[in-house]
Amino acid sequence: MKVPEIEQSDDRQLVESVRGGDSSAFEELVRRKTGKVYGVCYRVVGNAEDARDVSQLVFMKLWENLEKYDPQYTFDTWLYRMVTNVAIDYLRSRQSREATINSSLRLVRTSSDADQGLSFQRREVEKIFEEVSVGLSPKQKTIFVMNQMEDISSAEISRILGCRESTVRNHLFNARKIMQQQLKRRYPEYASLWKEKSDAM
Amino acid sequence: MRCEFFRQNCVLGTEPAPEMLEHLRECGDCLNHAVSVDPDYLFRSLGGEMTPPGGVDAFVDGVMEQVHLRETEKKLSRRGMPAVYRWAVAATLTIATIGGLQYQSGQSVAPVTLTAEASHGSAIVPVKNQLEPRPVVENYESSSATIVEVPNQTSDLKVVMIFDESLPADL
Repeated sequence: MKVPEIEQSDDRQLVESVRGGDSSAFEELVRRKTGKVYGVCYRVVGNAEDARDVSQLVFMKLWENLEKYDPQYTFDTWLYRMVTNVAIDYLRSRQSREATINSSLRLVRTSSDADQGLSFQRREVEKIFEEVSVGLSPKQKTIFVMNQMEDISSAEISRILGCRESTVRNHLFNARKIMQQQLKRRYPEYASLWKEKSDAM
Repeated sequence: MRCEFFRQNCVLGTEPAPEMLEHLRECGDCLNHAVSVDPDYLFRSLGGEMTPPGGVDAFVDGVMEQVHLRETEKKLSRRGMPAVYRWAVAATLTIATIGGLQYQSGQSVAPVTLTAEASHGSAIVPVKNQLEPRPVVENYESSSATIVEVPNQTSDLKVVMIFDESLPADL
């Protein structure tokens, strides 16, 4: 997560203004962080409506807990902690609700699909990710999204989650393993790419 | 960034620069190329900021609406019981006292009369209310209250019950 120093200091100034009772500063903070927060929520929860609700919940939590923010940490680290907590809670409650449905739903690609060649359009990649990430735990999925899609280092993720870096790496390793197994089963043509990579390295 | 530059710098096992990832997320052709070089690019292409349904402005408005609502709730709870609730408590207490007195007077007379009349073996005669009904006029306004009026067959007095969760529990 490469956040310019100026932006970080601006974030802290905005937080100070909000603490002083300036609600327009909070509005500015929400506007500034909406794209980031919604992006992570969307990729973790997997659909637009739920992602919007979860993002709103994140900002409400942020507003309620702003007094607890310690400026010695970067604001984004603290914000991502809120995002991960809310998103993981949401995924856990949804997984328990939908456990039965998911276990009976197994999307299988036909061989004719596979023969049509590789077309990595964004929509399709989103669909693949949703399908192959079904087997991930809420924590694994959140860590994978932060590291692989939000470009947040494992060291930073360990600070966000309050755990060891080795734990984060372990979650990442397991997440990739599970997803490759799922890819092999559902999208054999894509799974072969990873096989070629490991052979090359 | 130009596609040519991207493809020249897209190398297996190297950490891509933010500009490279930005281009990867916008260019379908370069994504195809990147995935053939390093399959990890497949899911990396999904990153970046996104706009919620309805746009950022609508989203921010929604959040701020919630914030103002909670701010108002906080202020109300800090200020203590507002005037309208104090009036409601006073009205409830008055009604409860009058109703209680009336009920008590009816209870204390009735058993004695019943016992006496039963021992004489005659028919039970209902006891007439000893208290004169006093009119109580109160206004009570609350959006969360349920008000029930119980009509009284024998007198003009009405028992009014107010169910309001916002009233203190120890009343």
